[in-house]
Formats: sequence, structure tokens, C-alpha cells
Amino acid sequence: MRWTGWLLAIAVVAGLCWCFPLFHVVPLDRAAKEKQAAVFDPASFATRFWNDKLLKSLDSAVPADELIALIQADATAAKQKFSRSVGVSESYTYFLRGQGRVVKASDDEISLAITPGTTNAEVVLQAGLLFGNAVRDGTGLLSVNDYPNSQDFNAISESLNRVIEERVQPRLRELGTVGAILSFVGCAEVNDESADLKPLKVVPVLAETPR
Amino acid sequence: MKTPWLTLPALALSGLAMLLVTIPCSAQTTAKQKIAVVISTLNNPWFVVLGETAKARAIELGYDATIFDSQNDTAKEAAHFENVIAGGYKAILFNPTDANGSVASVQKAKTAGIPVFCIDREINSTNAATAQMLSDNYSGCVALGQHFVKVVGKEGKYAELLGIVGDNNTWNRSKGFHSVVDRFPGLKMVAQQSADFDRAKGLEVMESILQKHPDLNAVFCGNDAMAMGAYQALVSAGRADKVKVFGFDGADDVVKLIAEKKIAATGMQFPKTMARNAAEFADEYLKGKRDFQQKIPVKVELVTPENVSKYGDYGKKN
Repeated sequence: MRWTGWLLAIAVVAGLCWCFPLFHVVPLDRAAKEKQAAVFDPASFATRFWNDKLLKSLDSAVPADELIALIQADATAAKQKFSRSVGVSESYTYFLRGQGRVVKASDDEISLAITPGTTNAEVVLQAGLLFGNAVRDGTGLLSVNDYPNSQDFNAISESLNRVIEERVQPRLRELGTVGAILSFVGCAEVNDESADLKPLKVVPVLAETPR
Repeated sequence: MKTPWLTLPALALSGLAMLLVTIPCSAQTTAKQKIAVVISTLNNPWFVVLGETAKARAIELGYDATIFDSQNDTAKEAAHFENVIAGGYKAILFNPTDANGSVASVQKAKTAGIPVFCIDREINSTNAATAQMLSDNYSGCVALGQHFVKVVGKEGKYAELLGIVGDNNTWNRSKGFHSVVDRFPGLKMVAQQSADFDRAKGLEVMESILQKHPDLNAVFCGNDAMAMGAYQALVSAGRADKVKVFGFDGADDVVKLIAEKKIAATGMQFPKTMARNAAEFADEYLKGKRDFQQKIPVKVELVTPENVSKYGDYGKKN
């Protein structure tokens, strides 16, 4: 009788462990794949973001001639109306699109006059190595609150800049000869109004001949 | 003749009534709500400013405030949280020791109904703290990296002193810096070592690096305490005019040496802005506000000999 009781108890425990296992055995390669999937891949993210969201949002950029005219007239009003800012900062970004004539060209910069009749550089498209958060923050499509680890959010900037260097800048340098007319869309980061507004330094997300 | 048995109960009742009125009134006038300020370490003047500013603002807003020093120890930090939760504190202004290790403490406070406002450093969770006021270290070091290339040139040998390895800020700063400098293959990092954000360790690590690399051109330090330690080591070795030192924080002693052109640059964080805002958030929460943005980056500004006159006292001069 005593043995029957013990056997019953063992059977109950075994049954519970079967239904609610204390541990799982997972093949090593499957465990590695799951871990890999959980790690943020900024390069893949940047490519998907570029194709699925950024290129579809270009029409929402403010017309460059309108922005430049307002900056000339009232920079504070331009900032209030068209800029974006992230967190606590005196810096802000613009997302703008337009067309202009190339007035100066170098390996690192293609300068455009936007306002008809002017020969001054009003927009300087960045054609060299890219740094900073102009495109990540300028479109308003990404939010720091979506990333528990800010290192992932930071990595997006770097990856987006690499996409631009690979996909946009070669075409920009090809088209950017003095006298040519260029259409562009891009983001400008303003850190110091005395240096960054006139002209606007723009990281291009699109550069092409006008249609 | 009045009957005493009518007068005595009346007297007792009025005495009781007076007691019931005066006890809550006196309790209201003396009991303030308490706010805890839990700081990673008070062994670094930057964090002392962070903690003292948060405490002072909380007191200005009508609270009692106490600073708790975690001594860079997540276990001590957890013990502080236990004491704060048991001690009836109504809000916590928190500078974490570890982005992952500190999450559990914040969760415990949240479960206990105590809002937590992170200052300067983040935790790797977006649903534990009520809000996180964070220095944008990565972008600050991108700007610092660009200035580094401008000052040091596109060729040279440099060392890097890292902060505490468990702190996200260590890697945000390092990655921001390297996102620029690594694009210039002529700039070679000959040494990279942690000095735990500590001045004395910075000195020790720099001495060791200089012995192995006497032809160093520059050193990037993940905070100003280590930059001061590195600078001291360079002065002792007679190399202070040959090796450019770059820091990060905006500490007063480094800003002074930038003005004297003895240190090349730093990134000014704004500890007073972050601390004051966090205390104000706590006040708003305790008065009923609930819709806080989870992460609020605070921009870091580059301080160089060219613009140093604009900066001081852990911020921008008015």
C-alpha cells in the first residue's frame, strides 16, 4: 500500500513536469538564429525605412523657395512654421525640396541658387562624408521613443548617411556642374543660426535633373 | 443651579472637537512630500552638480528632498530603492548606474506607485520610468569627432579612454566619436581602455599608454574627469603641449583649461537643465499630469577655444 502511494505521487509529479516542463531543450543553431533576430540591424532598418517610408514622403517637404524667402524675412517665423526639433535643444531641422542652378561645385559641396535672378548660394548640397542626424530627425518619421536603447536610434543616423553616400551622392556629383539646373529633396540641420541659415547646408535624399 | 453632569460632557465634546480640528491642520502645515534623488556617484563633481541641482529645485517646489549615492554600484542602488519605497517617498529623480541592471529597481518603484524620472543616463526600457531626460551623447561626440579631425588632422595616433562599460553613455560617446574618426584611415587608435569615468584611473591609464606609445598625438576621453587625469599624466610626462586632449561633460575645470588652450575641446552637457526639468516633471506628476514623453534628448554643445567664452558653470552663460 505504501509503495502504491509513492508510485502515485511520482506519477503525478511526472505528469505535471510533462505538462509544464521546467526547461526546454533548443537546438544550438535555432537559439543562435533567435538571438540574432532580436539584435537591431541598423543597416537593414535604414534600407527598409528608405524604400518604404522616406522616398514616399518627399512631397511633404516644404518648398525651398518659400522657406528661403521666409528665412530672409523672418528667421524666427520660419523656424516656428517649418522646423522640427528633438528634445531640449536650440538646434532644429528643415525638410525641404526645390530646384536651383549650380553656382559652385567641389568634391564636398554643390551650391545652388534658388531664388530667380540671384547668383548667391542659397542651398549647399552635401556631397562629401556625411555626419549628424539631419535626415533621421528632419522628416519627422522617426521617434526616439520607439527605441528602448538609444544606441539603436543613433545607429540609424549613421546607416542613413551611408545609404545617401551610396545612392544619392554619386548622381549628385555627376549632375553638379556649374550652370546645370538641379532638383533636390533633403534635410538641413541648423545648429548655429549665424552659420547654418545662409546658405542652408542640406543633406540630399534626392538629386536629379528637373522633369 | 446648573447640573454638573450636563456641563462636563459638553466640555469634553468641545475639547474633542478642538483636537480633531487642530491635529490635521498642524499635520498639513508641517508634512511635505518627499522626493528621492538617487545619483550614480558623488565621487565626480559633475554628478554632484546634477544631484544638488535636482535636490535644490525639488525643495524650491515645496518638497523635502534627499540625495542617495549609489557609489557606481547597482546593488547599493537597489538597496536605496528599497529604502525609498519603504520610506514613503513620492517620486524618484534617478541617475542610473547600469542601463540594464537598473531596470528592475525602476520597475519595483513603478509597481509601488512611485514615478521615476531618469536624468542624464537611460535605462533600456520604455515602460518602466515615467520619463527619461537624456543627454544626447552620440550626437555630441559626432560633433566632437568632426572637431577632432579638424584639430588633429587626417593622420595621427590617438588613444581613447572609455567610461564605465555598463553605461549606455560610454558606448553612445565612443560610437559617436568613431562614426566620424574611423572614416579617416590615417587616424589610428593605438590604445583603448576603460578608466571608469574616474580622474585617478584616467591618470593611471594615461601613464601606462604613454609608456607604450610615446609618439601619441591625441587622446579622446569619454568624460572630463578622465580628461583631467589624462592631462595631469601628460603634464607629468612633459608632453602636455604635444598631445591634444579631448573630453566630454563641460566640467568647470576643463572649460577653464580650454580657455587657456591647454585642452582642445569638450562637449557641454547641461546637468542643471536636466536636473531642474526632472524635478519639475516630478512636481507636475504629483499634481496630476500623466502624459510625459518617455525620452527627451538634451543636446550637447561643442566647446572649443573659439566659443568657450559662452560657457561656464555647467551650462551656457546668459
